[in-house]
Amino acid sequence: MKHLIIGAAVAATVATGATAQEVTLGRFFGACEDAGTDTKASVGEACIIQSIINAADAELDGITVTTLPTDWGNYYDQIKAAYAGGTPPDVHVMHRHRVPEFAGLGAIADISGDLEAAGIDPSDWSENALAAVSYEGGIYGVPMDFHANLWHVNMDLMAAAGLVEDGKPVLPTSPEELLQHAQMVKDATGQDYLAADFAQFPIGVRLVLALMWQQNANIFDGDTATINNDAAANAVTAMTQLFDAGLANPQLNYADSQQAFLNGEAAILVNGTWVVDFYTAEAAKEEVALDNYYVADFPTLFDTGATWADSHMWAIPASLDGDQRAAAMKVLAFINDHNIDWARTGHMAVRTSVLESAEYAGLPHRDEYTGTAAIARDTPPSERYGAIQDVLNRELQAIWLTGKDVTAALADAEAEVQDLLDR
Amino acid sequence: MTGQTRQKRRITQGQAAFVLLLPFLATYALFLVYPFLRGIWISLHDWNLLAVAFNPDAKEFVGLRNYERVMWGRNIEWGAVASPLLQGIGAAGVALSVFLRRAGRVSKVTAIALGLASALLFVLPGFHPGEGGRWYDRRFWPTVGNTLVFVGWTVPGVTVAALLIAAALNRETRAMSVYRTLFFLSQILSVTVVTLIWQIMFSPRQGLIANVTEAFGGSPIVWLTDERFAMAAIVITTIWWSLGIAMILFLAGMQDISKDLYEAGALDNATGARAFWYITLPNLKRTITLVIVLQVILQFQVFGQAHLMTQGGPNDTTQVLVRYIYQTAFRDSELGRASAMAVFLFVIMGGFSILQFVLGREDDQ
Amino acid sequence: MNRSYKWLVMALAIPAFLWLVPTLWMVSLSFQPNEVLARTTSTTFFGLIPIPFTAENYAALFAFGQTPMWFLNSLIVAAGMTLGVLIVSTTAGYALARLEFPFKRAITILCLVGLMVPEQAVFIPLYTMFADLGWHNSYHALILPRMAVPIGVFLMLQFFKAIPKDIEEAARLDGVGWLQIFWYVMLPLARPAMMTLAILTFLYAWNDYLWPLVSAQRQEFFTITLGLASIQSNFAQSEGLGRVMASGVIASLPVVVMFLIFQRYVVQAMTVGGTKG
Repeated sequence: MKHLIIGAAVAATVATGATAQEVTLGRFFGACEDAGTDTKASVGEACIIQSIINAADAELDGITVTTLPTDWGNYYDQIKAAYAGGTPPDVHVMHRHRVPEFAGLGAIADISGDLEAAGIDPSDWSENALAAVSYEGGIYGVPMDFHANLWHVNMDLMAAAGLVEDGKPVLPTSPEELLQHAQMVKDATGQDYLAADFAQFPIGVRLVLALMWQQNANIFDGDTATINNDAAANAVTAMTQLFDAGLANPQLNYADSQQAFLNGEAAILVNGTWVVDFYTAEAAKEEVALDNYYVADFPTLFDTGATWADSHMWAIPASLDGDQRAAAMKVLAFINDHNIDWARTGHMAVRTSVLESAEYAGLPHRDEYTGTAAIARDTPPSERYGAIQDVLNRELQAIWLTGKDVTAALADAEAEVQDLLDR
Repeated sequence: MTGQTRQKRRITQGQAAFVLLLPFLATYALFLVYPFLRGIWISLHDWNLLAVAFNPDAKEFVGLRNYERVMWGRNIEWGAVASPLLQGIGAAGVALSVFLRRAGRVSKVTAIALGLASALLFVLPGFHPGEGGRWYDRRFWPTVGNTLVFVGWTVPGVTVAALLIAAALNRETRAMSVYRTLFFLSQILSVTVVTLIWQIMFSPRQGLIANVTEAFGGSPIVWLTDERFAMAAIVITTIWWSLGIAMILFLAGMQDISKDLYEAGALDNATGARAFWYITLPNLKRTITLVIVLQVILQFQVFGQAHLMTQGGPNDTTQVLVRYIYQTAFRDSELGRASAMAVFLFVIMGGFSILQFVLGREDDQ
Repeated sequence: MNRSYKWLVMALAIPAFLWLVPTLWMVSLSFQPNEVLARTTSTTFFGLIPIPFTAENYAALFAFGQTPMWFLNSLIVAAGMTLGVLIVSTTAGYALARLEFPFKRAITILCLVGLMVPEQAVFIPLYTMFADLGWHNSYHALILPRMAVPIGVFLMLQFFKAIPKDIEEAARLDGVGWLQIFWYVMLPLARPAMMTLAILTFLYAWNDYLWPLVSAQRQEFFTITLGLASIQSNFAQSEGLGRVMASGVIASLPVVVMFLIFQRYVVQAMTVGGTKG
């Protein structure tokens, strides 16, 4: 009897296994458990991506998609652990900045030969998008977006301070003006001018990086760290002058800074493209203090326009082959086909056909940050991107949270980044 | 089938011991001894987690270089007053152990153990980078320091709080058993629930502590991202979480103290706080040692609180050793370096266990 | 005496309440609507009383949540580990305490030395070892490494040593074999010590975080500890605070109930463990 039951169970597994190919999918973006399959109705990164995945699961014949953990904090640790343990997910999301590390070690697959069969047309990707997934002549993933730091604006606070002209916010063009504007907002409304996560995730790092790039400087050049210099000091001081004058609070973390902005306690929130639709939805709510929401390109405080940017992309493990690889590619194609739905988050699309569509142009606030694509920048590619960001995050936190001397912090950061480059 | 097992076969004592020991020895060798030796072996290699996974030959034998890269530096010098406070305590400890031994107050072994520990405290903090020198890894020793600070606050905190509460609750009544339950309850929550609760408790915007502070007109503390309070926040969380077992152990110890002692004490007017000081405490010495040792071993391995509540921040002030090992291994993929740190952790814990063993033996004599 | 006792009971109510506040707050938040919590967490009496009230968070959790699955995994892992540790520790503890055999002293010392190896010092080699074996993402990967903890053997060894010899000798005279003595005579006597060990192991397994974090990458094998950590993240805007708190309550409720039922046993068990340890 017992054998019979086990036999039946095995048979059932084999039977379903034959009809449905299971594709495991690893992603961050956070959990959304009741996303549904309507890719047009969901709000926020987590729910939009999950609705696309759910739709793939429902619409792709013979393929079931299983979503693995969606944790942010440990994502890359876990993906690495999975690769090292020989059990990587069949498809997974990653950042463009991780390509050198994962492709360099041969972990992720060069899929240039699989694209056509899967129905993905790489010539539809914008030039930058293709560059984002390319590494030493191969294509290592399907790009999904460009995301960049924006200035999210509370127009009511700006108007009260007289910083609105022709329905657009007046943004600073120099560090001096930044301080001036911040004082105007404080005087008129009593609220902070600017909020951002300076205390936990590296939003503050990305802000300082942008200000360095605006001075045509970078944190390293080839194998040499270049952090202890005037450009970095100028960039840091542009921020610390706000903290010192009590016009911004460096102690807020991601959730707290976001809450401050939604509560109408800060005129500007520096955060990514990923929250545009979420803030739009929040601003429409009666009970949320933020009413008049506007999105602006990161302003140029120095010579050249620049803002931090990165790309999300989807990759498959190099070890994947046969039917499993074909199934994984179908999932990637499905995500590629829904580029417009993902763009609803506020991210910039990667496909020319989407970028030129009326639907894309009609997305909320889209016309307010069209300049961002042209000024998007990132640090040079490195296998140690994560560790380098961590060094900068610690030393910058030391400056604004613990009062460490700017020069000392920059010197320490330079020495440590140099160590990482030398390793 | 059943008939055969019924048949009694005589086996010798040695065979029986072998059969009974086999499950333990097998798991012990496989999952502790072998990994431990393998860890030492990994620590002698330049070993990238991903690279070695794809190509087993991608590791390189580097001898003790990982240890050097983690713990040593360029132009490291030693000075007797480089870190006056710690070295002062160390020197005082050495002098004290010599004095106590001379005065015959402690045994030879205790004096040697105490003397050695103090000598280490005198010697180790004396190392510092000289002119133009630097530590190869600037984060390692501060991380060890943070871990010691965490242990230094948490262990006395848990011990004293648990002792006081146990003393107050040491009565077999209904009310007291309800209180015992309440104080023990937090112990059974998992680390993620605990950090979930306290992360929000400490939030300057949504937190209960901030809400109460504001209601009384104060401005809320930004606990988790202020360098002065981040460690305190983690310590408070940990004390709240791990007080239960210590309390129960103390209650058990107190029940072993003979009632006659208290009755005799009452005749000498020793009740309440005096009874606690003169009768309870001296008779609880063994339990107190046990609780402290268990706590030190447990708290030295802190990971979840720092990982989930502060991510080691701000500016590394709550970065602890196990989290650094985890990060080096799984974020930076450097298994060799991480293993060298793990061996260091073992040496510290081992040293403490031996010290405790020596002191414990003496108590028994 | 009686009056001072009453005062003591009343005075203790304050610290006891403070001790309970964080837990109460979690429960209360889990019963409040997410839209309200997004603005303020202190609507009624600092948020300690769930007004406005909703059970929505729990409904959503059971409709879509993975919390029940994670919970089940934790139960399986904790129970498996407890059973494993009990078997390994009682057998070895008995052999080391009561039987004579070659190399006994060496093995005992080896076991004692193992007490000094913290688990966090071997998780990296264990990780690579299990990776080579292809064992990650399974229940046995979560259970096996923790069975080798010698503290259990040590505890049982101490306990068996304290049992009077004549019980055993009487059985020997009746011609009972060693294994039978262990099974029929010693094990029943060891019940309290086994209970202590079981409770300590279960609590330990329930709270373990680092090993599951590196070993389990697939949600099917997430324990509740790991699962909850994965939904705490700051970027996850879709899950409201109330919902996360509800997951926390669901994760804790069964162990709390279990603790309340077995409470007397737990305290008793700790007492045994405390005096023997």
